[in-house]
Amino acid sequence: MILQKTIKIIELIGIIIFFVGCNKIFEFSPYEANVKEEYKNTTKKNIELINNIQTNIDTFSFAFVTDTHYHYNNLEAIINDINKRNDILFVIFGGDIAHQGLLKEYQIFYNIMINLDKPYLTVIGNHDYMSNGEVIYKQMFGNYNYLFEFNQNKFILFDDVVWESNKYPDFDWLSMQLSDNNKFKQVFVIAHISPFSDQLDSNMEQTYKTLMSDNNVQLSMHGHAHIYSFRKVYKDSVSYLTAPSIKKPTYCIITVYSKSFSIELVKLKS
Amino acid sequence: MKKINIHILLAILAFSYNVFARDTSLIKTKNWYPDYTKIQFAGNIGFLSIGLGYQFFNNRLYSEILYGYVPVSISRAQKIHIITIKNTFPIINKNIKEIIISPITGFTASFETGNNSFLKLPDKYPKGYLITNAFHLTLFLGAKVHKNFIYPKIIKGADLYFELGTVESYVLYAFLSKEVRINQILSSAIGINLYY
Repeated sequence: MILQKTIKIIELIGIIIFFVGCNKIFEFSPYEANVKEEYKNTTKKNIELINNIQTNIDTFSFAFVTDTHYHYNNLEAIINDINKRNDILFVIFGGDIAHQGLLKEYQIFYNIMINLDKPYLTVIGNHDYMSNGEVIYKQMFGNYNYLFEFNQNKFILFDDVVWESNKYPDFDWLSMQLSDNNKFKQVFVIAHISPFSDQLDSNMEQTYKTLMSDNNVQLSMHGHAHIYSFRKVYKDSVSYLTAPSIKKPTYCIITVYSKSFSIELVKLKS
Repeated sequence: MKKINIHILLAILAFSYNVFARDTSLIKTKNWYPDYTKIQFAGNIGFLSIGLGYQFFNNRLYSEILYGYVPVSISRAQKIHIITIKNTFPIINKNIKEIIISPITGFTASFETGNNSFLKLPDKYPKGYLITNAFHLTLFLGAKVHKNFIYPKIIKGADLYFELGTVESYVLYAFLSKEVRINQILSSAIGINLYY
């Protein structure tokens, strides 16, 4: 009798699980970093997609979106807008794609990004390092420092998070990647934290600034500050762009020409 | 004489032990003697969590303090050690012959440090830069089946329970965003309470 009842209860539990359709039936901690196979190596997969859309034309556009945190409705609105714009060929995220560095946040971001019709790449932000975010980012996306080329332009994505990562930015790696800048029409560097922001001390700021100006970098792109700013910060040829967070649905479109670029700030209706 | 005194003392001790052992309410007021042991699988408080529980307010509240553990093979990062206070409220108790079935609800409050999480903001950060990320709450709904054993020796009865739950941050994300669906934030837990 008891056995029959127990079996019925187990059946009931099975039915509940079936109907609820949990993405993951059992979760053990918000801090776990067990990334599903289908979510892994996103950077590598997207660089392959970008390589497939290379053209010979000088002029092209890409979108720069940053500091997603948990503003998922706005992320969806931005993606829908980017999907409608045929001139945008790919999207770069400037970091803080998670808020607490939790696996759940990374999964939500990934699942929303499935709706984007274009390739996208990310640079790691300070919030992405929190909890076990460092491990999750590495599995889900790939290396913290990497680069790609597009139509003879070089894009370098650089991890300059200091406090949350407990690391010193790998300026040697950056210097090495910038050393062949004369082979490219233009060089763009993307790092979450601008050199004139809170985390980089004066030595780091000086190192970063010198690497940009000595290696013919046209544009250094950042997030973190949550405000829009586009200017030549130091007395050199390098432009620094800080894009706003998506707390309001805003993003930047960078149009690249043969020897120059232009920036459009897109503000969508909330 | 001394021998007789020792025997009397032992007899009194044995008698008092029996009195206390039979009257659980007396034991509870005299000691921190728990009512039951809980063992739970999953539920965002550990791969396995184990701890001691108390019944309060005529069995309307079940409170436990639990230690949860997630090994490296499961977390895929560092070992995770979690201290949890769990509170469960049976909504109604339905007697069906020898068993009692209860829909349950409740919440947990968990504390964890060691996975780039902190209670006190480390000195490297400016004051007020971040708030603690060492605490998480979970909320759950579920069902519990209780059975008293007919010939109890150590274990007088047991609960088997199942829960569907989520974490407070996930609820916030689902509330703020239509992109986060309810099935993305729910997960299950199962466990037993052993009464003594």
